[in-house]
Amino acid sequence: MWAEIDQILRQATRQIADHVASFLPGVLVALVLILATVVAAALVRALLGRALRGLEFDRHADHLGLAVLLGWPSSTTSPSQTLTRVVYWTVVVLGLLLSLTALNATIPSRFALSVFQYLPNLLAALMILVVGAIAARFLSRSVLIGAVNMQIRSARLLSLAVRWLVLLIAVAMALDHLSIGRNVLLLAFGILFGGIVLAAALAVGLGARDAVSRALERQLQEPPRGDDEVNHV
Amino acid sequence: MPDGGAGVDVIVGLTSHNDVGTVGAVVRALQDGLARYAASSAVRFVLADAGSTDGTREAVREAVGPSALVEVESGRGAELGEPPYHGQHGREAALRAIIETTHRLGARACTVIDARLQSVEPEWIDRLLVPVLADGFDYVSPYYARPVAEGAITKGIVYPMFRALYGVRLRQPAAGEFGCSGRLAAHYLEQDFWDAEFAPVGIDLWLAVAAACGEFRSCEAVLGTRGAVSRGAPTDLSTTLKQVVGSLFADLERRVDVWQRVRGSRAIPIRGAVGGMDPQAPTVNVDGLMESFRLGYRELREIWTWVLPPRSIVELRTLTETAAERFRFDDRLWAGIVYDFAVGYSLRVMPRDHLLRSLTPLYSGWLASFVLQMEGASLQGIEERVERVCLAFESEKRHLISRWRWPERLR
Repeated sequence: MWAEIDQILRQATRQIADHVASFLPGVLVALVLILATVVAAALVRALLGRALRGLEFDRHADHLGLAVLLGWPSSTTSPSQTLTRVVYWTVVVLGLLLSLTALNATIPSRFALSVFQYLPNLLAALMILVVGAIAARFLSRSVLIGAVNMQIRSARLLSLAVRWLVLLIAVAMALDHLSIGRNVLLLAFGILFGGIVLAAALAVGLGARDAVSRALERQLQEPPRGDDEVNHV
Repeated sequence: MPDGGAGVDVIVGLTSHNDVGTVGAVVRALQDGLARYAASSAVRFVLADAGSTDGTREAVREAVGPSALVEVESGRGAELGEPPYHGQHGREAALRAIIETTHRLGARACTVIDARLQSVEPEWIDRLLVPVLADGFDYVSPYYARPVAEGAITKGIVYPMFRALYGVRLRQPAAGEFGCSGRLAAHYLEQDFWDAEFAPVGIDLWLAVAAACGEFRSCEAVLGTRGAVSRGAPTDLSTTLKQVVGSLFADLERRVDVWQRVRGSRAIPIRGAVGGMDPQAPTVNVDGLMESFRLGYRELREIWTWVLPPRSIVELRTLTETAAERFRFDDRLWAGIVYDFAVGYSLRVMPRDHLLRSLTPLYSGWLASFVLQMEGASLQGIEERVERVCLAFESEKRHLISRWRWPERLR
């Protein structure tokens, strides 16, 4: 009986030892990958930081309106710092996922694979946000300058409305691209835009009907007046 | 190479587009002037018509006769998103065609007149062509007697900056009419600005700049009052300012090596006696201009800080708080603002369209101050005031050079 127990224990120990022996190289490779990832991430952060400083990225980001996006999470963080941190942690996370596949474990490998497959969507969503932020900045400034030159007193309000509208559309498009809350977004936007158009129609129809009719009459009947008669050149 | 066999002395260029109502009178006045002042010269009229459909071409053929008329294709040119302030699409193509014809026929002198101008007199030939034919001048720029608010962009920006940069006191360098020699016409054809971005709106100014920057003799010719010339809907002030100032700034980048060497300015001869101003001159709404300036300061101050130093912003704030009767835009401040915008334009600190349009409230403030100071002033008084503005631009030029060379100071 003792001989049987001894044999079973020996067999179990051998199996454990075999498993450990087959698992250890994977762990070693994973550790090496993690180490390499950390080193690579630090290197990328240093090089990117230097390149962004050289390109005066903070100034350009400010002019393009990206500072709002990249200034997050705190106002004291510069856009270049945020960008280098994002890139650093992206490299670290990707390295960790890669190292999981080296362990030859089924679930972590599948998880890593699905993350890698999702990456293009993430990048596309990020691109949509960046383009949206630039467009919002450009359009809001166009509206602000145009409205001031037309002597519209609520120029700032119009400009802000355009800015947030474009930003909201960009965020919604990015979320839609990531397949996050697609139905909710569709509904929310339908209600929001429908509400805005209805409110504007009611405001014009009920509150400013006479003013609009007078403005249209002036526009259709009279030639431009006042300063337009002066030849400024 | 000129085609000298044609034996032509003078080219009279006409630019037109649906001007059948005025072109006959213009041609008759010019023919009268040619008979009086250039009777011994062989003359060709060159019509650069931008696709008229109202019989303008036929009217010119009838008035001039086929043997004395050369018709050139000017086309409609590359149309901008917005109409040009002078209302003439394809003006650069029209001028190029006229100047090419001048060069091809080997003419000694050329003048360009807008066929819609109702104020053309026979004396214009004496003023625009005779200085070239008889006195050896290469470029003749018109001088119109203009009331206070008329041509204020020229008085407050174009002339002072042109004079400070290129050292020649041409008071209306962006005017549409001019006279030039065959030698200068050949020089014009060598320039690379014909297809540049602002060419449709800046070509008149650039021709004056090219004459001022080369070894050419320039003079001014008094042409009385210009009268209104309107084609289509007038452009708004912001668009006009963008087009005129944009073309001035664009040329600045092309001729850095010239204007950085120029010091001071020189007066040039003037032909003809300066008469009175147009008594029917339109007026501007000064209160509206001041309000536009104050609104601009409130809303666009943040944008201005990208190009203007804090000192200028502080001075502008003081101005917004000043009562209308004491509202005076300092000449030095104004010159500094225009120069800072020029540097900002060159550095592309923001989209150029935004930068140029954001200048409008500042210009409105300057114009309000100018009109308030010049209320009831004579032409002489206006000229003296503009002279002080010009001196401020000349004095501030060193700052422009400094900022242009070391732009990091601007940041």
